[in-house]
Amino acid sequence: MLKVEGLNVRYGKSHVVFDFTVEVGDGELLAVLGRNGAGKTTTIRGIVGLLAGASGKVSVGGRDMSAWPAHRRTREGLAYVPSGARCFQNLTVDENLEIAAHANGADHSWTKKRIWELFPKLEPLKNNLAGGLSGGERQMLAVGRALMGNPRVMLLDEPTEGLAPVLVQSIGTLLGTLKSTGVSILLAEQNHQMALRVADRAAFIEKGRVVEVLPAARARDSEVLHRILGV
Amino acid sequence: MTPGQLLLFAMGGLANAAYLFIVAAGLSLVFGALRVINMAHGSLYMVAAFVTVVIANQVGAGLGFWAGLLVAVAVTGAIGGVVEVLVLRRVYGREHLVQLLGTYAVSLVVAGAVRIVFGANYRTVASPIPGHLNLGGYSYASYSLFMIAAAIVIAAGVWAMLYRTNLGRNIRAAVADPDLLNATGVNVTRLYTTVFVIGAGLAGLGGSIVAPSQAIGSSIDTDVLVLAFAISVIGGLGSIIGSAVGSLIVGMVISFGLVIPATNPFALAFVFIIMTAVLTVRPRGLFGLPEN
Repeated sequence: MLKVEGLNVRYGKSHVVFDFTVEVGDGELLAVLGRNGAGKTTTIRGIVGLLAGASGKVSVGGRDMSAWPAHRRTREGLAYVPSGARCFQNLTVDENLEIAAHANGADHSWTKKRIWELFPKLEPLKNNLAGGLSGGERQMLAVGRALMGNPRVMLLDEPTEGLAPVLVQSIGTLLGTLKSTGVSILLAEQNHQMALRVADRAAFIEKGRVVEVLPAARARDSEVLHRILGV
Repeated sequence: MTPGQLLLFAMGGLANAAYLFIVAAGLSLVFGALRVINMAHGSLYMVAAFVTVVIANQVGAGLGFWAGLLVAVAVTGAIGGVVEVLVLRRVYGREHLVQLLGTYAVSLVVAGAVRIVFGANYRTVASPIPGHLNLGGYSYASYSLFMIAAAIVIAAGVWAMLYRTNLGRNIRAAVADPDLLNATGVNVTRLYTTVFVIGAGLAGLGGSIVAPSQAIGSSIDTDVLVLAFAISVIGGLGSIIGSAVGSLIVGMVISFGLVIPATNPFALAFVFIIMTAVLTVRPRGLFGLPEN
């Protein structure tokens, strides 16, 4: 479903992502693992179309999006959940969801009702400002907002960052549920244990380069983790 | 000062606040969403005032004024759209100095064009709502009351646009996180153009509405811009409520400052003393949000 070919990202004269090439099939979860500063966030932002210095080919379902701006990629099924549980903090929970629903056209398979079912804690908070939510609640909202765009591909950037262990487990369960609906997921994570529990494959990156792509079962091997991540 | 005089000067202050609010609200809206301080805002106000005066005098006061108002708002909105596409898109995200210089250059171009097209002479137009009302033994121009009512309607309209429409929700989201809004499927580039056109239209509306109440000359752009900046600094750039409160403060200070003999020479200076005090105690203004 998602195909990224030869993604390169440059900030001025600095070349930070080198020839990132991956494919993520329907209902597949590819974990992108690497140490802090390896280039995970930049890679995802490059795929989403938020970086002026990104080049390479990005396609979803065979449709080439490389020349499209970020908003058009999102409307065509590419959803982005940024790190830090970013939400529109000055908008209510309800408005955060509405904004994605309204921006993304006629497909209404994900509704607020489904989001409330998925995250029951959010519904009583729907009239609260997102800025007043806890980290876990904001993360649910960030995922909910991405789902309201009815994505075919989800790109998640460290969704467990700063969350309590019980919430990390919930995110893992949620990703498993989303996979089962046929959504392709590219998950950049520092928490390799959670990521490899739900992933089908893992791409390890170092200094902006993919150094190895392995099936999750193989990537869980402690020798591999020690060799590549140093853990 | 008798209660009647107090009411008279307060009404004068409200009439000042009315047109200043319309102009300052546009300046503030643009800054809030685009983070650009538009030095050409006063120029758009001036263009609208001239367009209104010329059309009203050609067509005839009354209907001519309303036709002039509509044309003036359309013209300033269109100029705003062109300026956003040709100038502002090149300075977004850059330091404020570059943005200031870019929009200042636009203001110089517009000022020159106004002098070429309309000449340097002051012009006036008859009020489309003639007559006076008597309140407490004093006579008030009906048009001043119209200006106050128009400002209240426009304030309610801007509030409703921001808090009751999809466009307003997107504008508020853009204030918080334009990158995220882009990645949520909203065309932020087009949104910015829309916001700037609305801001320019508000400047135009202010210029049109003020035209029958004062002589229109080629220096009214800087006169109003200075006061709109003072209002925005006092109320807080980016806050519509701040614009309303700032306009009330400035409108009242000018009105009462001018009529009290002891303060008459310093009426405008009081505005800037208040502005300096607010900047010192609360740099983001009374209702301003901290910049991201």
